[in-house]
Amino acid sequence: MTNQTRRIVVTGMGAITAAGRGVESLWTAVRDGRSGVSDIRFDRYPRQRITKAAHIKGFEPSDHLTPQQIKTTDRFAQLALVAAEEALRNAGIDTATPLGPRTGAIIGSGIGGAWTTDDGNYNFYVANDRTDLMTIAKVMPNAAASQISMRYGVRGPSLAISSACASGTQSVGYGLQMIRAGIIDAALVGGSEALLTPSTFRAWEVLRVMAPEACRPFSDKRNGMVLGEGAAVLMIEELEHALARGATPLAEIAGYGTTSDAADLLRPTVEGPAGSIAAALQDAGLAPDEIDYVNAHGTGTILNDISETRALRQVFGDRLSSLSVSSTKPIHGHALGAAGAIELVVTVEALRAQIAPPTINWLAPDPKCDLDPVPNEARAHSMSAAISNSFAFGGINATLALRAFR
Amino acid sequence: MEQMAEGIDPATLDRLLDLVAKEGMVEREKLKPDATFEELGIQSADMVVVLMAIEEEFGVYIPVDGDLADAETVGDFLKVLAARMKEDAA
Repeated sequence: MTNQTRRIVVTGMGAITAAGRGVESLWTAVRDGRSGVSDIRFDRYPRQRITKAAHIKGFEPSDHLTPQQIKTTDRFAQLALVAAEEALRNAGIDTATPLGPRTGAIIGSGIGGAWTTDDGNYNFYVANDRTDLMTIAKVMPNAAASQISMRYGVRGPSLAISSACASGTQSVGYGLQMIRAGIIDAALVGGSEALLTPSTFRAWEVLRVMAPEACRPFSDKRNGMVLGEGAAVLMIEELEHALARGATPLAEIAGYGTTSDAADLLRPTVEGPAGSIAAALQDAGLAPDEIDYVNAHGTGTILNDISETRALRQVFGDRLSSLSVSSTKPIHGHALGAAGAIELVVTVEALRAQIAPPTINWLAPDPKCDLDPVPNEARAHSMSAAISNSFAFGGINATLALRAFR
Repeated sequence: MEQMAEGIDPATLDRLLDLVAKEGMVEREKLKPDATFEELGIQSADMVVVLMAIEEEFGVYIPVDGDLADAETVGDFLKVLAARMKEDAA
């Protein structure tokens, strides 16, 4: 178990979502069941079928970034920069001093610069406007990681993990492994996604998985997911490294597991997710009985919630009935490549507060989802360990296991 | 097949089955009411194509969640379509 000799802790977190700017806004919204979902309308797409999304309103890049940064970044990288700044400040790190070669930046994204692509295509094919000179550098999925690296002098590995809705969780997972392996001592890890553009929204509409009214995971009468956008970044460090500089660990990232279904492109299996959860527990050296809270992938689609329930049942057995399992996606939306990072922030806060946030919009039990979804109201109880799940198109499953840091 | 799709007139049913066969890439004769999509080899991505074709041809937007989620056979599928098309016409 050499990989267990280096323990990795979270020392700072940042987030920007439809629930607001900052981790505090996200956590209070999630805890109190205050949804960031509202109507979204696109001028360039008048025939919308679906109108609900968790979009960030009133984000002014100039409040946070320099003119040079704004000129060279897509919205997804801008959101990541805002989250990274908060994470570093929260970690008590001087943002004026370069972080150097022993720090990495791994920021996942499912798509990358979707707005730059959408505007660029419109300008090129329709409006006959000049092409944005920075299109390529703004669109590339690693743009967020690179911008963070440039801004904070991160000179270790910087990259994007692109694995659709598992990107955020995998980015944290591989950051964990790099630190364990001794390649680096610290990393800014997380995910960012901003694809609520007219043509991308249509692309989701034709998949027919979006809820017309509300996202209600694990509930009877649920009928789909609600798209979101946002970014979350976590500063993670090897424990001794963190303690040596006087940092306060917020939680320990104890394990990571990931599997592939190797089956259907869109429809999840039970074995794949179950394998991922089991692998994370094994990596963390945690028994199923030691887990007190699950932040579920819980998209609110019929199929995800059934297979996730079955996968959890396979791993947790009878304990599942008394385990708090919630999906916070009705609050911050399904933020795709950022989802895993946003939900990991929520899970860390849940452990710190010893409160399981609720699954809101829940109406009545679905017999096929026989778990305890913490319906509609937060629940305070003692928690020493938790997991967070992300399952993606392409059949990718990823799970992180956390221990409360005491 | 007709008894499985009450509320759809024969001409519409014919067009629907043509659509499912073409977009799902299966032989029309295999679309029996009790044939499951799994047996027919129609995957989730094919279903998305079938539903898009139905939206274009009939103007109805049918989500995969809701009633359609439980549809396992061709007959189940037609029953849901019949209900949705009736709703849209109403």
